[in-house]
Formats: sequence, C-alpha cells, structure tokens
Amino acid sequence: MSRPGFVLQVDDRTPPLVVHEGEGFRLERFPIGTRVVYPPESLPAVRDVDATIRHALLNPEGSEPLSELLRPGMRLTIAFDDISLPLPPMRKPDIRQRVIEQVLTMAAAAGVDDVALISANAVHRRLTPDELRAIVGERVFRSFFPQGLLYNHDAEDPDDLLHVGVTDRNEDVEINRRAAESDLLVYVNVNLVAMDGGHKSVPVGLASYKSLRPHHNSKTMVQSRSFMDPEKSHLHHSAIRMGRLLADHLRIFTIETTLNNDVFPAPYEFLNKREWEWSIRDQASMLAARRALGVAPRKVKRRVFHSLESPYGVTGVHAGETEAVHAKTLANVHRQQMVEVQGQTDVLVMGLPYLGPYNVNSVMNPILATCMGLGYYFNSYRGCPLVRQGGAVILYHPVPNEFSQLHHPSYVDFFEEVLAETTDPVAIEEKFEQSYATDPWYIHLYRTSYAYHGVHPFYMWYWAAHALDHVGDVVWVGADRHTVQRMGFRAASTLSDALEMVSGTVGRSPSLTYLHNPPHLIADVH
Amino acid sequence: MRLRERLDGRRVLLTGVTGFVGEALLHRILRDLPGTTVVALVRRKGSQTGRDRVAQLLRKPIFSDIVNDDVDDVLDSRVEVIEGDLADIPPLPADLDVAVHCAGDVSFDPPIDEAFATNVLGTRRLLERLGESGSDAHYIHVSTAYVAGRRRGAIPERSCEHDVDWRAEAEWGRRMRARAEEQSRTPGRLARVRRQAERQHGRAGFITAAADAERRRREWVNEQLVKAGGERARSLGWTDVYTFTKALGERVVEELGAGRPVSIVRPSIIESALETPHPGWIEGFKMAEPLILAFGRGELPEFPAAPDSVVDVVPVDHVVGALVAVLAGRPEPGEPRYFHVTSGGRNPLTFHRLYEIIAHYFDRYPFDMGERGAVRLPAWRFPGGEAVERLLVASERAHKAADYLVTHVPRSERIRRIARDVDRQQRRLEFLRRYVDLYREYAQAELQFVDDATIGLHRALEPDDREVFGFDTAVVDWEHYLGEVHAPAVTEPLRSLDVVRRRRNAAAAKRSSNGLPEATDVVAAFDMDGTLLSSNVIETYLWTRLPELEGHARLAEVGRLLRRLPGYIQAERRDRGGFLRAVYRRYAGADLAELDRLVDETLAPHVLERVSAAALRRVRQHRSAGHRTILITGAIRPLTRPLAPLFDDIVAADLAVDRDGRCTGFLAAPPLVGESRAAWLRHLAESSGFDLGRSYAYADSHSDLPMLEVVGKPVAVSPDVHLWRRARRSQWEIVDWSSPGAVSRLDLPSAGVAEVMPR
Repeated sequence: MSRPGFVLQVDDRTPPLVVHEGEGFRLERFPIGTRVVYPPESLPAVRDVDATIRHALLNPEGSEPLSELLRPGMRLTIAFDDISLPLPPMRKPDIRQRVIEQVLTMAAAAGVDDVALISANAVHRRLTPDELRAIVGERVFRSFFPQGLLYNHDAEDPDDLLHVGVTDRNEDVEINRRAAESDLLVYVNVNLVAMDGGHKSVPVGLASYKSLRPHHNSKTMVQSRSFMDPEKSHLHHSAIRMGRLLADHLRIFTIETTLNNDVFPAPYEFLNKREWEWSIRDQASMLAARRALGVAPRKVKRRVFHSLESPYGVTGVHAGETEAVHAKTLANVHRQQMVEVQGQTDVLVMGLPYLGPYNVNSVMNPILATCMGLGYYFNSYRGCPLVRQGGAVILYHPVPNEFSQLHHPSYVDFFEEVLAETTDPVAIEEKFEQSYATDPWYIHLYRTSYAYHGVHPFYMWYWAAHALDHVGDVVWVGADRHTVQRMGFRAASTLSDALEMVSGTVGRSPSLTYLHNPPHLIADVH
Repeated sequence: MRLRERLDGRRVLLTGVTGFVGEALLHRILRDLPGTTVVALVRRKGSQTGRDRVAQLLRKPIFSDIVNDDVDDVLDSRVEVIEGDLADIPPLPADLDVAVHCAGDVSFDPPIDEAFATNVLGTRRLLERLGESGSDAHYIHVSTAYVAGRRRGAIPERSCEHDVDWRAEAEWGRRMRARAEEQSRTPGRLARVRRQAERQHGRAGFITAAADAERRRREWVNEQLVKAGGERARSLGWTDVYTFTKALGERVVEELGAGRPVSIVRPSIIESALETPHPGWIEGFKMAEPLILAFGRGELPEFPAAPDSVVDVVPVDHVVGALVAVLAGRPEPGEPRYFHVTSGGRNPLTFHRLYEIIAHYFDRYPFDMGERGAVRLPAWRFPGGEAVERLLVASERAHKAADYLVTHVPRSERIRRIARDVDRQQRRLEFLRRYVDLYREYAQAELQFVDDATIGLHRALEPDDREVFGFDTAVVDWEHYLGEVHAPAVTEPLRSLDVVRRRRNAAAAKRSSNGLPEATDVVAAFDMDGTLLSSNVIETYLWTRLPELEGHARLAEVGRLLRRLPGYIQAERRDRGGFLRAVYRRYAGADLAELDRLVDETLAPHVLERVSAAALRRVRQHRSAGHRTILITGAIRPLTRPLAPLFDDIVAADLAVDRDGRCTGFLAAPPLVGESRAAWLRHLAESSGFDLGRSYAYADSHSDLPMLEVVGKPVAVSPDVHLWRRARRSQWEIVDWSSPGAVSRLDLPSAGVAEVMPR
C-alpha cells in the first residue's frame, strides 16, 4: 500500500532534509515552519507487464485492436520517445522495448514487412547506436539498425519532411515524411510527467523547426500556466490543434505507458524515502554516499551518477486513439505525483539533481540547470504557482561554467554571446533565434554529430519565461557566482544567506516551501 | 663689459646642436646673446635635411619665446645650417670667430671603431677643415672631466698626462672592425651561431634560423668591438672607451690646434637644468636617470658603490654658462686653457647622500603601480662591489636554470605566468649587469677635480652676468636640486606613461573580440593541433589505432609508442617535418577509406568534444565577416573531416596509398610545416588577391612563427614559451583557448565498427 503525498511542517524534531544539488546532495536544516512537499510513495507496479501491454493493444480505447489495423503490404512506422525520457533511464528492459517487441510480433504475424522505427527526437540530439539499443533492446536493434530501418528523426532533412497542412490558427504542421506517409503510425511513449504524451508526441516529437515555432516561443510559454497542466497550457493547445489535423490525414495508434516513483536504485533507495523513516541501513548508505561524494573527483562523480538506472515499476499501459488514451494516462500520472498544497508561499526552495531531459550522458550546463529549476520544477503545479507573484525562488545547484562541446555547442555560444547582451526571453527571441536556428554549422552538427539543434538553448530559456515573468527574485545556493550572474541571477553560499538576500523582496519572515523533488511531484495548489 | 657686448657680432660654429648640451647652448645664445649668430653643423638624418632638423629643434617648447612661431625667420637671421657629418665635413666659412665642438659619442661602451671615428677622427677632421677655411677662430672643445681616467686624488686643470699615440690607436681601432668581421665568418664561428640559431628556431624552418644566425653574428661582432674598446681603454689606464677616446681627442686638439686659440671645457656628469631654460629641463636620459628610475621602481636592490665616493654632478645650465664665458675669452695661440666644470671640489655630493635624497624623494612620491599600491623601495647597505657582483652572478645562474626549465617543460597557463616572471627577472638582471659594469668605476672613483680656472672665470664676470650666466657649482643645494628639481623632471615621463598604460589596459579589457571588420580579401588561417583542440599527432594516432585493439594488444601498442617517445620528442624539437614523417610511418598498412569512415563514425564526436568553443566561435566570426577561413595542419587529412564545413580550404598531410588503397606509411607530399606555411599563404595571397596585411593567423607553437609573421594580425593561442615571448615582444594578441574541462585527455574513443589496420 502506498501512502499519498503530503505537506510536512518543519518543527524542532524534523531532521535535516535531503536537498539535491547537481552531482551530490546536502542535508539541510530548514527554518521551523517551512512547508515541505513530499510526493506520494511509489504506486504498486502491474505484476505482468507483457500481459498488460497485450491487453492494451488488443483492447484499445476508441480504436480497433492493433492486430486488426495491420495488414500485409502496408507501410508501418513505429516512433518512440527519445533518450530524454524517462529520467533517470529505466533499468533494462526498457518499457518501450517491451511494447515495441509486441507490436513487431503482431506486425510480423499480420505479414507486414515494411517497418521502420524512428526516434522522435525533434530538435534534440541524435541518439548514438548504443543509446538506441538501450531503448529498443538488442533483438530489435540487430534486426533493424544495420539495414537503416532504425534511425533518428532529422528535423533538417528537406527530403524526409512533409508539410501536412496548417491549423485554423495558421500553424504549420510539418513532420517526418516516412511517418506522415505511413498507413499506420504507432507511437510508443513513456509518460513520465504530465507535460508528456497525448498530442505532444507526434506533432512535436517528429516535427521540423518550422512546425515547432508556433508553440515553442516565449509568448506561448509565458501563457502556459503551467505547461505541466495541459488544460491550461497554450503549448498543449497548439499541439492539440496540430494533432487533430494530423489525425485527419494519418492513422495514429498511440501507446502510452506510465511509471511509478521508484527513481533511485540500491544503494540509494534512501533518497526515495522520508528522512525520519531512514533505517539504520539507509543511514549507513547515506553516510557512505556523502563521504564518497565528498572526496571523489568531479569526473568520477559524474560517471557514478550517469550510470544510475531506475528500477521503475509500470503503473499502466493504454493504447488506441490519442486523446482517449491520454486522458487515462494523465489520471495515472496524477495518481502518482499529485500532492495537495494549501495556499501559495513567499519563497520556494528547490534542489536540482544531476539530470535533466537534455543532459543524459552529458553535462548539465548553466542553461539546462536554469531550465530544470525555473522551467520544469517551477511549472510542476496545477491551479496557481506554488510561489506567489513577485515572490522568490531559491535553487540549489553548483552551476559550474561547463558545457559539453559535443552535445551543446550552440549553448556555449548562447551563453557567451546572447546572455551577455540580454536575458529577456522576448528580446532574445526577436534578436537571436533566427540566426541560431538557421546557422549552417549548428545544423551540420545536429544532423551528423550528436549536437542539439542551434535553436534548442532558446527553447530552454523560453521554458523559464513563465517563472522569470512571475517571480521577483532568484538566488542559487552553492552556485558559481559569475555563471549565474551572466544569466541575471545571484548566488549565495548558504540558505540563510539566500534568505537574507531575498529579504528585500519578501521581507524578514517570509513563508517557505521546499519542493522535495525528485521523485517527481505535482503541487495541486488551492 | 657684459658678455652680450663682448660677443656682439660674433659668428659661432656649433657642432652637436641636436645633443643635450648643444641644444642648451643654442638656446642660451639665441635668447641672451642677441648680437651673436650661429653656424650649426648638422648631420642629415634619413629624409630630414640638416635645416629640417634645426627647424624641428626650434619648434620645441623652450624656444617658443625666441622663435615666436616663425622658425624660418630665426633660421634666416640667426642660425646658418651647414649640412655635414663629422666624418665628412664640408668646407667651413672663413668668417667664424669661435667654434664650439660639442658633438661626440656619449655612450660609454660604443664599438671601438665608432668611438674613435667620432671622438678622435671627427675632432681631427673639424680642426683640419677649420684650418683650411683660413679663419683664426677660437676653438672650444667640450670634453669630460673623466679623461683623467683611473687616476686618484686631485686632478688639475691642465693637459692629460699620457704618451699614447692617438694615430696608432685610431688605426688599430679601425682595423678591429675588419678583424672581427673576418673572425665572425670563419667556419667554426659560423657553425656555432648556426647551431644556436637552429636549436632555437629549427622547428620554424631554415630561413628563420638563418636570419637569426646572421643576427647573432652581427651581435657577436659588435660585442667583440665593444669588448676590444673597453679592454684597450683599461689596459692604458682609462675606465672605458669613452673617456679613453675623449682623452685622445684632447691630444688631437692640443696638436692640431697649436696655432690657434684653444680652450678645453671638461664638465663632469651633466644633469638637468637648475634654472635655465627652466628648472628640471632635460633631454633624453643621461647617466643617472636609468638608475634613479630603476631604483624608484624597486628594481635596483643594491649598487656596487662606495658610500663615500663623490658623485660629481653639474646642472646643464652651469655648463652652458661656463661655455659662454669661455666663448667670450680668447686665449693666446699655442697656450690651450682648461676648465673643469665640476662640483666635487667645493660642493661634494657623496654617493650615500645621493641615495638618501633619492630614497627620500621616492618615499614622498612613490611610483604608483596601479591596484598594487606603491612600490616597495630597496634599502641599500653598500656592501661593496664584490658582494654585489657575487649576488649578481648567483642571480644570473638561477635565472639561466629557470629559463631552461620554462622552455622545456610542457606549456600551460601557469608556465607562461612563471615565464613572465623569469623574463621580468631577466630584464632586471641585464639592466643591472649593464649598469654595474658601466658605472662601477665611476661609483668608486676617488677623483677630485680642481676647478680654480673655472671659478676664476666665474668671478671675473660682471655681477649682472653672474646672475644670468653664473656657473659656481658651490651654490647648488643638492637636496633641493636632486629632490625637487631633478628627480621630478626625470620621473615625470614615466608617471604620465603609467597613466596612459592604465587607461589602455582598461580599454583593452573592455574591447570585445567579435568586432571583426568585414572584408572579402582577408584570410584567417588556423593551425589545428594545440590551437583548435588540445591534441597532438601521437594522441590522434592512438585514437585511430586503439579502439580496434583488445586488452593486451592495446597495452603493447602503447608500450611500443612510449619506448619511441623520447626519440619523437627529440625529433619534434629539431624538425617538425621529420617528426611528422616518423609518426606517420606507423599508419603503414591502414586502409584510407576505412580511416575516413572511422573518423566519421567514431572519432568525430571525440574531436568535436575537444574543440575549444572559443576557437570555433572565432572561426565562425571570421566566416560571417566574409573572410576566407583556412585550416593549415600537420595532422592527417581524415582527422580534419569533423571540422571541414567551417573552412574554405584545408591544408593537411595526405597519406600516400598503394593500389589497394592501403597507406604506405609515407606522405603524398612533404608536410606543410614552418616556413612552407608562410610560403603557401603568400602564394595564395598573390594568386588570389588577398591582403595578408589585414589577414589573421592563429597558432600555438614556435614552429608556426613564419606563418604568424607573414600576416598583419597574428594571434598566439595558448602559446609555448618561445612563441609567447615573441608575441609579447611584438604585442600580438594572445588568447587562451582551452578545451572543455569536462573531457579527459585519457578517454579513448569507444570501439569503432571499422577495422583500419591489418592485424
């Protein structure tokens, strides 16, 4: 039986609490009265995953069973979520592998022989062969990769894009040609957070830059309150319009999966638990981990953290018509992550872990850290933001001035050239986005190497636009001073200093709320 | 009678008017002797005629009251210019009344032939010309009190006692040049300088090394001549070649001027003006200034002086006053008169007192070193010449060791920082060595100049003239003169320079680099290894080789390479081309097409991960400015593939292949290193119309020097110490493009699918 999420009120018996900060964590003693939002405990996983998948495929929502949609001679394309999901990566076998294997089995049984598998990475970096193998599994990889039938979507390949039409709001819908011209497009998703899935899968994951622009911009993002709440997200409204247009042109069979909150594997399970409930063993592991992290060189710490694989349990698999499926999926996600919180706070405290969607096997650079804190974590609410308008946000992360030149070449230049001039998302979009998005060198790297598209750092900054617009003050605890300064923020060495610094904005005795994340949670603010 | 009346209507020949004393004398004559006209003998300098040079002189601030913005008028009415050189004096006018010879070589250590040419033969030539002109002009010779040489005690105002044959000495001095030139060209000597030059510049190429060898040879000749002068002077009892040739010059005067009125004026150390033209007026740096400045900057820890030795200093206006007084007199022909313009006899200034006054001055007005506050002044203890010499020798040895170290250890930002300290130390040591050697004799001199004749001349002046032209050095209050007149005047240029430098540094810090001017006829050439990414050919060889090997095979390959490493490093220091050939032999048997594929699939991420972001940004800025970007590298061509889209041209090493497409281990053409890069660029510029003067080149190593020198805007990227020194000397831009810290140099590319090398 799993307990629901809850809000702890810090009192004098509350032990120091875990706060994630990059490749490490600290134990922080919060001021008395601080509210701490804990996610619900992990939901029980389904016992027989394969049977659940099979059941979903044969009893889909609002659609004929998959087996009936398959026929010999047809063109079948399977698209799947890329490496940005789930976080951390799932312990093998990946849920996508299990789903894809069953879909392929049914296709084979139906005599379908024109099959291609596409990673729906939009303007994310290409996946390496090893990364593709980790998602689809050895068997599928071997049968498709060498023939060139398992590959990454290329948002800049004019030959492999198809302009399907424009929505009633004049939004261009242009997606992967192979997918658009298939008789059936099966999309396999991992719905880690409420933002994912639904019509965000095909119209976004397989889109070109042209088709991303209508919703990936600063205006839309300021008005997506939040983008973790599809009903109130302008981003999602646009994606839904595009998805419905696509659904008129193309048969899409959506398969969505949801995971529970088993994020940290042994011996780090203590990070999944509430601090006062740590067993002797948990405490020993915690001490050992802290000691080791204290002395380990940065590169070793990075290797240790990036080799973590989560022992997620699957909480549900739904298949069929996109919107019907997604309603059920969202319900599952909410069941796992929703916590009710009464009222807003003056100061919101968040600890950022080592990993975000865009630095798998890479470095969380300053811009990604900002996106993680002021984008994803800040937006993890329903109703209204957890922090009041004009309040302060305190983030924990070392924010070293460090970039992966391989994965994030345009980020380095964005940091050095764009942020040096302005940090205002609207001004940035106006002045710089076009030149970065169409830069031939970034496009070359995106298409042939493993680099995020030139426009991607802009999206990261737009992701933070709502928070930048909403809060009055942002202070980073333990961060590199110069780096956060470049981004328009300030750095403090301790929580007390940070509180001192924001006192000009929120006064001497502000109300404090700490979002105890990860594991993932959504604050339902009333 | 007043001096102006006695000198009314006189025509005075002046040599050396562009010098310190000559200029002051000219100023005094033009200002205070309205009836006197000047005939100036001035050398042509480049495209400037003698008249131009005097006109330029007259435009200086001290003459402003006299010329009233009309230089030509003064030149027409008061100053006649005769263009000529001491070695080649044109015929002189017959109506001269006085000739003042102030021209001379004032440096203490010129090459022996030059010292004789000016100080001895120039004087002879002037006297001969004067004789030919038929005038019976009064000849006044400006000499130095130190012609007394290494004598001690009281020095009277009369002819120097010695029996050196100046004609013979001058002839031997002249011949030394030919001898030194001859010796410098012997095979042994040439081989030595060439070896030294090649050790340092061999990697850059033979022409660069040859230019350096020739420079070293010339330097050696010069050194020999300087040494010869000093030794000859000391062997005959003089301190240096300057006083030696000056003394012989006096002998020339005594001999050739026997038939005419002759005066010899011997000032000691001439420093800034006490009152005229204005207190503290000084032109250029004389004898004590470099020492005062060095002391003020805290760079003179000690000096080999005897604290009680007398520093004989006279203000320039006293010297000029004495000259004017001598000018007005007219001794009997055949009875030359001697005048010491000195201070030591009646108003001695000891070295210790000088030190106290200067130290006190800098205590009150220290040099400001910007954010580091005031300079810390050394406290002199006067331990004596030998102790200072020992200290100096020890420091020189330590410096040599440090220099060897910084030029031989692998480069890094820290090493460059250390090299900067080493270089600063070297400059100080060289300065110290030079001045200690030059001034040792003077700082320990026990000469006492008698100036009875001079003071007699002073006392004979009318009281009004004594006010204007007075030269009684006993009136000088040293504390006032040195502390409030001289030291402020001497330090002023440096203080204003400090202000300029600070402003410039502040401006440079603000200057952003992305403002590249747009142009289509500009190239930007980049070196690859070490400049764009931190790698070298051995590393990249391992990248291509190791992924396909298993466990112990890997170890064995690394072991083989390690065994060869010392040899490779040797080869690298000697000749970059040879080194590349040696390493590329290891590619023998590799399949070139496979190599390309391996690079694309496995090595490209590895390379891109190591590229410096700042470097790529600069390349791209050049592209967007319309410049032609060129990658010039000694690396093999396949390795340049990941960066290919950024460059218009790529010049790389091409591996030769046999009929099966397998590498032979040889190169298809000689690798483009050192001077051939410069030649390649020059050829490109000529054939395609690029302007190298506005072009850019980026490189990290000394071997790329020719390429950097051929363009107008060279940039040293994380340079080695040799290149770093060169860049600093020429004020080239120096940038530090480091690869991202997140990647380790030891990480190897993961196993590739390709198999390049035969097992």
